[in-house]
Amino acid sequence: MSELAAEVGQVLPSFSRTLERADLVRYAGASGDFNPIHWSDGAAAALGLPDVIAHGMLTMGTALRVVTDWCGDPARVRSYSVRFTKPVVVPADGGAVVRFGGTVTKVEDGVATVSIEATCDEVKVLGAATAEVFLG
Amino acid sequence: MPISEDHVGRSYPATAPYEVSRAKIAEFAAALGDADNPAYAGEVPVAPPTFAVVLAAAAWDAMFADPELGLSLSRTVHVDQKFTWQRPLRAGDEVTATLTIEKVRARGATAIIAIAVALSTTSGEALCTAASTLMHTNEEAA
Repeated sequence: MSELAAEVGQVLPSFSRTLERADLVRYAGASGDFNPIHWSDGAAAALGLPDVIAHGMLTMGTALRVVTDWCGDPARVRSYSVRFTKPVVVPADGGAVVRFGGTVTKVEDGVATVSIEATCDEVKVLGAATAEVFLG
Repeated sequence: MPISEDHVGRSYPATAPYEVSRAKIAEFAAALGDADNPAYAGEVPVAPPTFAVVLAAAAWDAMFADPELGLSLSRTVHVDQKFTWQRPLRAGDEVTATLTIEKVRARGATAIIAIAVALSTTSGEALCTAASTLMHTNEEAA
């Protein structure tokens, strides 16, 4: 791997992803998480949710693309943590648009710390989302 | 008896070996909308970093099946998640996962549970730690 340049304050390219019900079903199959609150209206309603919600891990996994699209090689990612603050509600019609972005907050000893933002309808859906990336 | 501080330190046997495959890596990358990253394709692709959750979730099963804890996945909220990687998972890795209960804070019907799942190859190479905080509510209160 060649060395990756990073500086504090650097803003990483942002992107949006529309999550539709089919994306939730696809993630359920890929991950093995078949909790019905991610695909059944009835199960979501029974828990008092406004609608079916996306897997928190789907949002977490998609958000890391802010880092891997930038650094190229996913093997550079040393750690990644998030809090699941708000669910992403995914209506059957049209889905939900989630916006992802990131900023380098620290560069030390060949490791960059990236703060990742994920919002849906202007509301943060991940809290304290942070990844550490090897630069060397 | 519900889960309590007494269960801190409890570990479960390692999960059955799971072989990471190219097909599963491709499927998981596509589910993240990330099928175009060349690292997830080719002869020996790496897995998307959060693929580790597939192995970690298998280790959760042992804890949720422990009759002494009285836990139910349907009464559990995933509060936070942290992964620390020693190296990426790759196609061909034979992986097992071992769960340890690290911390329990029980208050009334609610327990905050911190768990750590250690992923390693069947030959003992450490791959990743997947740490989670879970909030669980006992049945009586539901």
